Amino acid sequence: MSKEETPQVTRRTTRLSATHTPNAIQSPTKSINLPPLSLHNLVYGEQQEPLTFDDLISSLPGRKNQIFDLLRLLGPVNSPMSPMFVYGSASTGKTSTILRVFRYLNRPFVYSSCRTCYNARQLFDNILNQLLLHRKSENNGYSSAKKCEKPADFVNLLKEALVGVVDGLKRSSSSKKLNGCVNGSMVYLIFDSLELVRDWDKSGTILPLLFKLHDVLKVNDVGLIFISSSSLDTYHSETGFVDPISVYFPDYTEEGLRQIFMRNQANPKLRSAFLDVVLKPFCRVTRRLDELSTALSPLFKKYCEPLDDLNVIPDEETKRKLFSCLQPHIGPALNEILGVTSQSSVEAGIKNNLKRKGGLKKFGNDSIDDIDFHMSTSAKYLLVSAFLASRNPATLDASFFDSTGGSANQKKRRKTSEKSKDLKEASEQELFMKGPGTFPLERLLAIFQCIASSDEYSLENDEDPQETTGLGGDFGENNLMSDILLQVSSLCNANFITKGGSCPLEGSTRYRSTISEDLALKVARSLKFPLSKYLYRR
Amino acid sequence: MATADEVHISDNDLKPFFVLHKASNSQQHARKPVGRTSRKVKVNLSSSLAASDESQLLDDQLHKNSRMKNFHDAWVKIESTIKDVLHNINADVFNEINGWVQKSFGAICSSGKLDTNKATCSYPIVTDVTSNQIFTAFVVMSNIEFVDDLQTFADLGVHLQSHGCHMANLSSVDFSAKSGIGGCLRSLLRQILNGSTDAADISILASWYMEHDNYKNPVVVIIEDMDRCSASVLSDFILMLSEWVIKIPVILILGVATTLEAPKNILSSKAVQHLSPSKFFLGHPTDRLDAIIEAVLVKPCSGFLVGHKVAAFIRNCFLRQDGTLTSFVRAVKMAIVQHFLMEPLSFTVKGLLDEEVAEADAWPRQALDLPSCMRLSEPKSEALLSGASQMKEVLNLWSSVVLCLHEVGKNQRTTLLDLYDEALDPKLYNLRNSDHLEVKPDPQRPSWNYDMHGQSFERQKGGLISRTIRQIRDLPPAALHQLLEKWDKQTEGVDMIHEKVKELRLQEDDNLKEPPTRSRKQTIRNNGNSDKLSEKAAALITCMTREHMQPIECIPFHEIVCFRNADKLQAALVGDPRKRIQLDLLECNKFLKCSCCCTKSHNVPISSMHDTSLMYTLAQEHGNLINLHDWYQSFKAVISQTTVKDKHKSKVSPSPKKRKITAQPQIITEASAQARFCRAVTELQITGLLRMPSKRRQDYVQRVAFGL
Amino acid sequence: MKIQRTVEEAIVLLRKRLCDPDFIFSLFSDSPDSNYSKLKFIVSSSVTEACNNSILLLGPRGCGKNAVLDLVLEDLLKEYPDMISVIKLNGLLHCDDNCALKEIARQLCIEHELMFSKMASSDDNSQFMIAMLRECGLAHKTVVFVLDEFDLFAQGKQRLLYSLLDAMQSVSSQAVVIGISCRLDADQLLEKRVRSRFSHRKLLFLPPQKDDLQRLLKHILLLPTDSTLPHDYVTDFNSRISNIIADKKFNEIIDKLTDADCTVSNFVRFLFSAVCCIDSKSGYMTLENFKSALSTVQRQPKLDCLKDCSILELYIMVCIRRLEFKEQESYNFNSVMKEYKTIYDSVQNVDNYSRNVCLRAFEHLLDRQLIEFADRGHNQCIEFRSVKLLISPAELHQGLKSNRSCPAILQKLMNQEAKFVANG
Repeated sequence: MSKEETPQVTRRTTRLSATHTPNAIQSPTKSINLPPLSLHNLVYGEQQEPLTFDDLISSLPGRKNQIFDLLRLLGPVNSPMSPMFVYGSASTGKTSTILRVFRYLNRPFVYSSCRTCYNARQLFDNILNQLLLHRKSENNGYSSAKKCEKPADFVNLLKEALVGVVDGLKRSSSSKKLNGCVNGSMVYLIFDSLELVRDWDKSGTILPLLFKLHDVLKVNDVGLIFISSSSLDTYHSETGFVDPISVYFPDYTEEGLRQIFMRNQANPKLRSAFLDVVLKPFCRVTRRLDELSTALSPLFKKYCEPLDDLNVIPDEETKRKLFSCLQPHIGPALNEILGVTSQSSVEAGIKNNLKRKGGLKKFGNDSIDDIDFHMSTSAKYLLVSAFLASRNPATLDASFFDSTGGSANQKKRRKTSEKSKDLKEASEQELFMKGPGTFPLERLLAIFQCIASSDEYSLENDEDPQETTGLGGDFGENNLMSDILLQVSSLCNANFITKGGSCPLEGSTRYRSTISEDLALKVARSLKFPLSKYLYRR
Repeated sequence: MATADEVHISDNDLKPFFVLHKASNSQQHARKPVGRTSRKVKVNLSSSLAASDESQLLDDQLHKNSRMKNFHDAWVKIESTIKDVLHNINADVFNEINGWVQKSFGAICSSGKLDTNKATCSYPIVTDVTSNQIFTAFVVMSNIEFVDDLQTFADLGVHLQSHGCHMANLSSVDFSAKSGIGGCLRSLLRQILNGSTDAADISILASWYMEHDNYKNPVVVIIEDMDRCSASVLSDFILMLSEWVIKIPVILILGVATTLEAPKNILSSKAVQHLSPSKFFLGHPTDRLDAIIEAVLVKPCSGFLVGHKVAAFIRNCFLRQDGTLTSFVRAVKMAIVQHFLMEPLSFTVKGLLDEEVAEADAWPRQALDLPSCMRLSEPKSEALLSGASQMKEVLNLWSSVVLCLHEVGKNQRTTLLDLYDEALDPKLYNLRNSDHLEVKPDPQRPSWNYDMHGQSFERQKGGLISRTIRQIRDLPPAALHQLLEKWDKQTEGVDMIHEKVKELRLQEDDNLKEPPTRSRKQTIRNNGNSDKLSEKAAALITCMTREHMQPIECIPFHEIVCFRNADKLQAALVGDPRKRIQLDLLECNKFLKCSCCCTKSHNVPISSMHDTSLMYTLAQEHGNLINLHDWYQSFKAVISQTTVKDKHKSKVSPSPKKRKITAQPQIITEASAQARFCRAVTELQITGLLRMPSKRRQDYVQRVAFGL
Repeated sequence: MKIQRTVEEAIVLLRKRLCDPDFIFSLFSDSPDSNYSKLKFIVSSSVTEACNNSILLLGPRGCGKNAVLDLVLEDLLKEYPDMISVIKLNGLLHCDDNCALKEIARQLCIEHELMFSKMASSDDNSQFMIAMLRECGLAHKTVVFVLDEFDLFAQGKQRLLYSLLDAMQSVSSQAVVIGISCRLDADQLLEKRVRSRFSHRKLLFLPPQKDDLQRLLKHILLLPTDSTLPHDYVTDFNSRISNIIADKKFNEIIDKLTDADCTVSNFVRFLFSAVCCIDSKSGYMTLENFKSALSTVQRQPKLDCLKDCSILELYIMVCIRRLEFKEQESYNFNSVMKEYKTIYDSVQNVDNYSRNVCLRAFEHLLDRQLIEFADRGHNQCIEFRSVKLLISPAELHQGLKSNRSCPAILQKLMNQEAKFVANG
């Protein structure tokens, strides 16, 4: 089968590549050929020193019970098992534990993650390739062993492949060829991150198929293991399925986390002192291992900074000192989800950048540089007007933007503030729900013109008189007015304005500004534009 | 002119303007001879030895080619300089990024190379919790306009590739929600494998990596504009990579347009966990612009300069309209084109201002007719002879002074853009010479730098330069020392200034020679004379500005090299197509000159108007939703009332167009009226002024017309 | 060491039994009024009398429809060798007609050692099927079509069913169509033209009674005396099993189990995990094994999730609950944050976190499926999409109590609200 398909595939690739790029054909001289796969490769990390049970337990702190459950359910060698469903929230060590256990047991398995195999076809190909010991390489044009789109073909092919593999295993174990290296003749199929499959097909045929695969195959020498981040009751299916036996991985407890963070540390005393200080507050926020470790590792560096040698055994005094050094950093770290480190030289650059700003403060230009990216003036006006259009109800535009804008909306505001309270709350609730309102392009442009023209006036009279004839006046005017639509599009690209759904009445697309209020205020300040005066407060 | 048009067409980024501005070009046709004749008038009455028209025309014919040639190599020169400047600006950032890439690749490899089977296996290799993180660089462009940095990222890709990395330049097109994760994987594989594969599967990448180099070089993926990517797809991509992170050493480089907040807002928190980010900053657009101005306009690299108004215009474009270098460069190019088109004498500019040209070459005789040398006192002949060299050194003086000023201004973030603009102003120059430069405390602190806010400061009082000079006073000695060094560098080759700077430095040096340990009296004294020193520096720069900073427009013969016509440039650049179209539609009578319509003011609809413009005039009466039926009725009413009108107008001025109508007035049947109506509506739609009826509102068209 | 091996052998034996439905349901095959005998009678009659027939096997999942059918077919294949050929289709795999026909053709080819061509069009396949039906009819061979997940075949245009049943109208053909479905109204799904051709014979499979379960238990767990296992071990093992069965605690456990779900498959799953719990040292089953098995079979995932929640997540849950209590019909992240702020302002020693951290915790809750989006708005960003709570306040109370690290203040917030509920 594969023999009859490979040539055709290679032909196709060459043809496409020829159309794509002239230098398409890689020089095969440079490439090394990968060794062919054998049954050994079905075992985790072949030719490795065997893992003792104690190593297994110690290498996975806080997962003792789960390991025991897994071992029990997997049972002794060559014993059939009913499908297993391993669940628990993200980064609770599901995958690593199972892989570890299989390495300990040295049993052949086929792992395929539904994250990497992002649709049904990829999943099928992946499983079949592993079972058929097929490896994508340059020689076969990176093609997969079998072509199968439909689940029906998949089941047939899978059955063939499984039978083949199991026979091979039986033969080899009987002939003692790879004894001790591949253990038993059961093959286990592991499906990782199964929760993603729910989003694959809305018709929902794949998921029931996977759950019933054991019954459909009727091969006794295969074990199915599903790994999911959400529990069984979230897998809805109209006809339902026989539940697999579930194993639950709870989140790590604080002790478990401490053990994990204490692993292979140069200076355990210091580390434990650090963890005493830090671990508790952080666990109040999240107990996810990955998030904690990303948050803690920079903190630990900071913690160690005052020390000259890292092997010192900290006594109470030093602990207190170190803690006092660390204290200011903890709060920010708690409230940060993405700590961006920056390279040293650049860091310096930024520093003196800030220094300059400080210098500017002396001259009193606070507004300068509050927004540290470049925007043209018209874009800024557009942004501000978009913000206004999203925040203010459209009915009040007239009262805000007439000639006597300020005073009028003073009145307006007082009136609204006298409105009854529940109405206010309702509107607030509505704001919370719908977020910033949408507006048609016309309204945006109208507001923009009001704002910009009021500013153009101030612009003209500080350009010098001769210039106003040539460059000021109408020049400035249509200078700001021209290619506004370009500006709108570039604002959309910068995610400051998003295209909302189209309005039900006329088909025009509506926009919505997603910027936060303080950013808008910054921009307005940099324009010396009294934003708060125009903003409608509920 | 024809050649000029070819120039327009030949070049891509000019095309739209060419298309838009046929009209203005024709105006050029119309206006240019006028300008010349006026000048000729002067000639005739000023000097007896004036060339006659046809000889001059002949000359023009002769010089046209040389002018085009000049234009070409001038432009080539400028282009190359710009490229170099940008390259130099980016160079160090690129090197930093490269170093970072190598470092993080080392960090990845430190976890130990995997053997081929392990590296291509399907299960993740988890050694540690933090080990499944992807090294990521956020390259902050700090400009919401993305155009300038496309090239930058391409260069970055080349740069890294030259250091052996396997590159893939992806953009937001690959991360569209429609094509999904498969799309970006496919294009990634296509770029790295140099050939397409049937299925987009990341395990292919793994085996390819093992085949072609195992753990010699990293795989670097550049995503140019992260802000535009579809959030979910990007997150999925990152999560998928994180499963292969040790097996394939992938390093991400994400271009962030605005702020570092953007990634957090876009990516899901799951994906964010898998990034170990670090940030890099590309040059701020204003800094880049300063560099370009310095290289191109301040240090005249090609015999072409711009006048004050043009400079102001370009500056305004950058600050107010779209702050992209691309548009700036486009403006400069436009200016050059027009200069060489309109200035008859510009053929002599050939290599005027570069070093290798001998002093010998003189201005042509016609140069004498230029208005700028009308007021020349000295005898014309040697003015002609020495004109070039004089101009050259004046310009050098000017540029060096401006650069010195910029050096002062730098540490207060004064942009060269503004300095340049101000230094070009002839009125300021005259003002300065009638000296009251010092005595002016600036009122209400104007936002003199970062003028991207568009709040242009009171320039007519030269606030910026005087303030910059005042800053020298309160400089600390160390800063002053650096400043003087910089001046020394800047004024290389300009002797008259260089000497002064030298002696200033000498004084400063013996100040510094005094032993560091001293009594406070001495320190006071030292402070005193350091103050004195700064005073001196201030005085020096002041007199430099007063004497040597002579704007180009105050130099005789400047018309030859200097382009001043800002209006034309604006007309060429800031085309307002929609407005144009609407105006033309509303007063079509100006274009098709038929007698009947001209008499009327343009907004009363008449039957003899062209259908489309008639329709559009009628449309003015409606809101932005036009009921088709009403519209059609009014249209038909107008075109059918002709017969009545034409009766008594035909005797006034019979024009063929109207006679056609009067001949068979009853020809306007329902059918033909509808046909004309439909055609007109379609034309309006094609010109983009209408949107056709939607499903929901069958009988309404919508006006999509702005700018009026 | 010796004992280890025997125990292992015993465990393997039990697991083999538990994973083999045929063994399990062979228990019910003997009684005359069982589904087994009925089904066997129908099929065999249609084989012997060379007539067409169609049956529906209905019943909830895990009541052995498939297993019984397999047993029947197995026996019949033994009784009437080469008079029966079985074609098995599954609604999950072959719900679209083309690939169903293809599959039929493929299996027919395998049955009759014919060459099957992948390239054949669906028309070819259907004609081939009809031809084969006629051939088999002439050769007095019965073709048995087993349609698992029958209701899925009833989706869409039902072309397959129609062509099958229509082919069976002709006298020459000789086929049995057996539909298996867990939807009791499966035959109501059929179109008129199909239903008219369908003989409405239905077999209903029901979950076993309690005594049946007892028998099943013995049938499965008692080790066979005539095996390689040492005799004394077997007797000892079996005696302990019977003791446990006699124990009334054990009966309570069984009741707990069957109250929730009394299908055979559930029972077998329970037994499987009980067997898995056998301690390989002692090697005998104890009551504790069954207890732990019950706990593993009957989990409460939501409560587990609540146990795992970090404090911040609990805060957010409580905020959402309070919002619900205020009869806010819909709420999203922003309103939750507002509530959080009000709590923070009103009550002392509430810890306050930044917005994006709270947003992350919110996403965690979404991942844990404690809350979910109430709308389908995909263009919106998360904080504007309205959500709804997936657990009852009672569960939330219980979860807060069960969570060791839950601060007292949260309990108080929940409780005062509970008081409101009590009052109002």
